[in-house]
Amino acid sequence: MLDVFINLGLGMTVAFTLQNIALCFLGCLIGTLVGVLPGVGPVATIAILLPVTLSLDPTGSLIMLAGIYYGAQYGGSTTAILVNIPGEATAVVTAIDGHKMAQKGQAGLALGLAAIGSFFAGTVATIVIAALGVPMTRLGLLFGPTEYFSLMIMGLVFAVVLAHGSLLKAVSMILVGVLLSCVGADMETGRERMTFGLEMLQDGIEFVVLAMGIFGFGEIFKNLADPEARDVVRSRIGRLWPTLKELKDNFPAILRGTFLGSVLGVLPGNGAILGPFASYAVEKRLAKRPEDFGHGAPAAVAGPESANNAGAQTSFIPLLTLGLPPNAVMALMVGAMMIQGIVPGPQVIERNPELFWGLIASMWIGNLMLVIINLPLIGLWVKLLRVPYRLLFPAIVCFCCIGLYSIANDAAQVMMAALFGIIGYALYKLEFEPAPLALGFVLGRLLEEKLRQSLIISGGSPLTFLQSPLSAILLAVAVMALVIAISPSMRRNRDEVFKEA
Amino acid sequence: MPMKFTRRVALALCGVAMTMSVAAPVVAQDAYPSKPITLVVSYAAGGGTDAIARVFAARLEKALGGRVIVENRPGAAANLGTEVAAAADPDGYTLLIGNQGPMVVNPHIFKLKADPGTDLDPIAMIADASLVVVVGPSLKVNTLGELVEAAKSGELVYGSAGNASASHLGALLLGQTAGIKVRHVPYKGAGPAVNDLVGGHIDFMVTTIPSAIGLIESGTLKALAVTGEKRFASLPDVPTAIEAGVPGYTASAWYGLVGPKGMPAEVKSKLEAATTETLSDADVLDKLKNDGAVPSSMGPQAFADFMAKERTRWGDVVKAADIKVE
Repeated sequence: MLDVFINLGLGMTVAFTLQNIALCFLGCLIGTLVGVLPGVGPVATIAILLPVTLSLDPTGSLIMLAGIYYGAQYGGSTTAILVNIPGEATAVVTAIDGHKMAQKGQAGLALGLAAIGSFFAGTVATIVIAALGVPMTRLGLLFGPTEYFSLMIMGLVFAVVLAHGSLLKAVSMILVGVLLSCVGADMETGRERMTFGLEMLQDGIEFVVLAMGIFGFGEIFKNLADPEARDVVRSRIGRLWPTLKELKDNFPAILRGTFLGSVLGVLPGNGAILGPFASYAVEKRLAKRPEDFGHGAPAAVAGPESANNAGAQTSFIPLLTLGLPPNAVMALMVGAMMIQGIVPGPQVIERNPELFWGLIASMWIGNLMLVIINLPLIGLWVKLLRVPYRLLFPAIVCFCCIGLYSIANDAAQVMMAALFGIIGYALYKLEFEPAPLALGFVLGRLLEEKLRQSLIISGGSPLTFLQSPLSAILLAVAVMALVIAISPSMRRNRDEVFKEA
Repeated sequence: MPMKFTRRVALALCGVAMTMSVAAPVVAQDAYPSKPITLVVSYAAGGGTDAIARVFAARLEKALGGRVIVENRPGAAANLGTEVAAAADPDGYTLLIGNQGPMVVNPHIFKLKADPGTDLDPIAMIADASLVVVVGPSLKVNTLGELVEAAKSGELVYGSAGNASASHLGALLLGQTAGIKVRHVPYKGAGPAVNDLVGGHIDFMVTTIPSAIGLIESGTLKALAVTGEKRFASLPDVPTAIEAGVPGYTASAWYGLVGPKGMPAEVKSKLEAATTETLSDADVLDKLKNDGAVPSSMGPQAFADFMAKERTRWGDVVKAADIKVE
């Protein structure tokens, strides 16, 4: 344990040089900005800035790029809460209750809880990386395709609780999401599925395209069609800071969210996106008044926001300890290291201790900076709601289009998002929730990939899911949850809950 | 009022300046390059091909004395970039990094809108990147020969960066050359596949050197052989597959410079000379080594012959494995 503090001390001396503090601040600022702007994500930003980092030293450039990544997670929640547009998969959950809070005049409270939760999670995750990096890596490696598949199944079962309203509608939305995730070339044979011969569908649908369309454009259509709904948000802004009691009430949610996010963030294949969903499900199960969920429950913002920030940070663990990138941003970080002539791998910690510990220490500094940048900005962000819609809407649409185009320098992506916008509006009119669809889409892709990989590895035997102890436990939990959900007494309760709501 | 007037003047001046900058290249048409060159990369930023393209482009600018802008056009299994380049004006201002997959493998697998063999003009080969055969903790073998022996059980599985990727084809060819049957587990990119190799969920991979070198040096993964004709400088102790007892087995991901069919001869020779100059820069060589590649200078004719040979060779592998899409 002492080692950790000595090492963190070394990291602090590296991170606390004027240059590195400045780069960390710059990264956090850029990150917050791209997070707030709908459609422009950290992947595109880091890709653009990659050549610029050539002129910096390795530690400084990684500190800045890391700042962009977790800064964007931070900023993304702002847009999700204020205008109901999640720019990242991890902010989908925040939008559900966060935006409802904004409509109730609690935008400040939601943003404040998100910021405080994120800071707490960031601090804990920094310590987790420093102290538990190696054992956490081993945990991540335990999850092969088989275990991962069972985890997804458990996730899908829990996803049902995301719904507020008709259970049937929620399940059908999840299934539509899974179906949409199947569009594109088959991973094993390369044959096209559901592409209608269109080239733009050959590589599947990008999550950003789906999210910008259904949430972003759909939300704008909805507001244009229904002027009363938007005026509610505009007229009531409310208090900017959470009270001590509100903080105390939500602290358990922040704690649980941090734990879930930290663990799931280590998993390969972007496990970090599962954190917020898991946290939401857990909070709803544990809540005294679960009927508030979906209607602006503060815990439904505090928990998932902590989870997404913790996950963003612990997803650095496989990169730092093994040189293996668990998601697209980390893959770009590998690129950044290679440009600098550093070979990512287990030896980085010995060969470049100043880089390893400096980066970790800078994460904590970065989280502190994000609070300093964001808390005073809450007032400013909330005032954004006062910007006349004739200016705000075209601006949002414009930024969405820039972001969509920048995914692959391809106008077809923008058009596809426009189509999803119409679908999003139709879903709103028919009272279908878009969040389960987004979850189905995200999980569906991993679900198919892991199912097929497991079956190839096992030689076609489905028993493999029961032979792995970890997988068997996860499946058992899923079955238990399912039984509880469909048992008659629970169903009555559930129906009553929704009648009230 | 005066404020408005100046703004209008400024606008007008801007307009004039813009027309001039557009018109300028027309005047100086003879001196190639007189405007920025777009270098199309068929993959997203941050990947292996992108890294090599950016190292190459940065030095090529100096050799040519003009801007070279890398444009990522990922999509349609890297066939989109081929189409974009084939459809561009053959004036030397749109070029493409042509690599193994889209140039010689995809024509056997997909129904393509543009045939790289006839619609593109090879300019020069840039680099050659050998692959490496690695095993994880699930398999206690020390040589390629032992791997081949272990694979005779028919129970070994290997991971790849995706269907028809260099790592998939490299392993297919290994299986066909050594006469063994192994099962293919496709992943989305080399990263997650290497992850499962380290976790012991799959047995071996034939992967790019940068994706595994850190783990090889730390002893987490064991390198059995490199797939090039020569050993790789950063892995001096790892034998080639031929040395390790699989005669005739070579596989590499290579990268070249191509352009649309019908570029003027002087543009092509200028680009070829600039490529040669770029590849003799020590700094470029160093960076290529980090990306697991060695420079491979070939002129237009040699490069064209090489691609024709590769196309036949990988066509046979694809046919034998039946991974055709259409």
